[in-house]
Amino acid sequence: MFAIVDCNSFYCSCERLFRPALEGQPVVVLSNNDGCIIARSDEAKSLGIDMGIPYFMAKPLIEKYKVATFSSNYNLYGNLSWRVMETLRILIGQQYVEVYSVDEAFIDLRHIPQAQIMALAKKIKTTVEMWTGIKVSVGVAPTKVLSKLANRLAKKNKEATECVLVLNTPNKIMQALERTPVADIWGIGRQYAQKLLANNILTAHQLSKQTLMWAHKHLGGVVGVRLVRELQGNPSIEMQTPLICKQMIATTRMFGKPVNNLQHIKEAVATYTARAAEKLRRQYSVAKAITVFIVQQQPANNYSGRYKHGPSISASTTLTIATSSSGLLIKQALLLAEQLYAEGGSYKKAGVILSHIAPNDSIQCNLFVANNHTKHNKLMQAVDNINFAMRNDIVKFAASGTERNWKMQQNFISPRYTTRWHELCLVH
Amino acid sequence: MPSDLFIPTAYTGSKQFEQQDVVTANASGFGAAADDYAERGIDLNEQLVMNKPATFFFRMNSDAMSGSGIEAGDILIVDRSIPLSNHKIIIAVVDGDIVVRRWEQINKDSCTLHADNKKYSTITVQSFNHYQCWGVVTCHIRLLDASLIAFNKK
Repeated sequence: MFAIVDCNSFYCSCERLFRPALEGQPVVVLSNNDGCIIARSDEAKSLGIDMGIPYFMAKPLIEKYKVATFSSNYNLYGNLSWRVMETLRILIGQQYVEVYSVDEAFIDLRHIPQAQIMALAKKIKTTVEMWTGIKVSVGVAPTKVLSKLANRLAKKNKEATECVLVLNTPNKIMQALERTPVADIWGIGRQYAQKLLANNILTAHQLSKQTLMWAHKHLGGVVGVRLVRELQGNPSIEMQTPLICKQMIATTRMFGKPVNNLQHIKEAVATYTARAAEKLRRQYSVAKAITVFIVQQQPANNYSGRYKHGPSISASTTLTIATSSSGLLIKQALLLAEQLYAEGGSYKKAGVILSHIAPNDSIQCNLFVANNHTKHNKLMQAVDNINFAMRNDIVKFAASGTERNWKMQQNFISPRYTTRWHELCLVH
Repeated sequence: MPSDLFIPTAYTGSKQFEQQDVVTANASGFGAAADDYAERGIDLNEQLVMNKPATFFFRMNSDAMSGSGIEAGDILIVDRSIPLSNHKIIIAVVDGDIVVRRWEQINKDSCTLHADNKKYSTITVQSFNHYQCWGVVTCHIRLLDASLIAFNKK
């Protein structure tokens, strides 16, 4: 059997942990730059606040019902996510836990006797909630796809299931399949859902009755075959080990307000490049290509309820020698930013992407260029150590600017209760 | 918080070091013989954190527990994983408010929360609907020397 442990309204639960008065009250969390609603408590959902809508559109409802609103506090969420995952690793064993996202983990329970599964699922739930204070739902089934399905049903019927649902008999599995619309199956996106509906396949049960040939033809080949096999109860998606080295590293942010000054855009691009280079060094890699993009402000007319960006323009360059040095990368990034910038334009977003990534111990040398890799390495190591110990980017490149008036808005941010000594929760 | 949920672990919460982090005695010109005795130096986390994912820090902001030596400004270490029992000092949530008090059970449905300071009255909880134990306070820390306080203000 496989289990999936999924935190209930994770970001909202994190905010509530140190503000217990908000228990039972509607809570929402906004995306970077306070743009959109990205998390809602059950109470906020039932007020009709939709996922992903821009904050200003939800504002009338938020004010009317006094919904507690937070800017996203990734320092807090990241720390609590680590605690949830660490609790699972201690309980079940590191080798059986696959962290799937910030608030979900798959657990391999194939070594656990059937008779103990239900008790273990409940123990997982109570222990995570007791240790971390974050409420979770647990879905257990013979395959990963079915465990996701069980988890969804557990969350939908919190009272009846107490957030734990184990699908351990053919009958229970069939009932769960019948109660799941195809659009809610893990791995079925909007386009496939429409296609299935057009073929009069409405439930997961109906989809599970299709032949593998059919799945291969209509659901994207081998991926579709795996999905149908999983729905039929045959494990076909294995536990994944985390991708330790990323092949591409991107840092992008929205600006706090539209920016039309080249100097400010260059500061932002330098900051994002430094952040991306830091991620690169953290995985002991170097990059040979760098792309910079900026996104123009879209005139604010005709809002269809979804966020629209203006046109995005980008430029790339390939370095003579792969590097992870912030200084060298920033130099290239700024040249690209100057190329992209057009006088009089107004921009709302910028980003930096590092690619052609390789391990830092196998750099291809260039016959015609002197290599001062070690010098840069030592400098970067010193900068990284200082920044890691002191937090908050104490040492940075001057190109990143000092005023940073393009920085994103976080008007409703809560204290970083678990990562900063000066922001501990006060008690009396 | 039923006590049968307690899961003892050997995890000390501070094992984020590697063998290589232990400096060899040779590196300091101390000779190979002493190398056999090289070991990791004392780390406060070993003594103060039993279960890292369940351990949180708070800051005391009142004199409600001054009778137990806890003063305003002290750091409180709170472990959510250890079982609750009579007379323990806990972080409690009462009607949405977070307080530090000494816990005492009266019967199945009610308990009292005592302040260790006569200025504060005892809170009696009749129904667990309005009360929740957040975690058990395992330790409080106070900085004494002015230079250490200044060092931590940075």
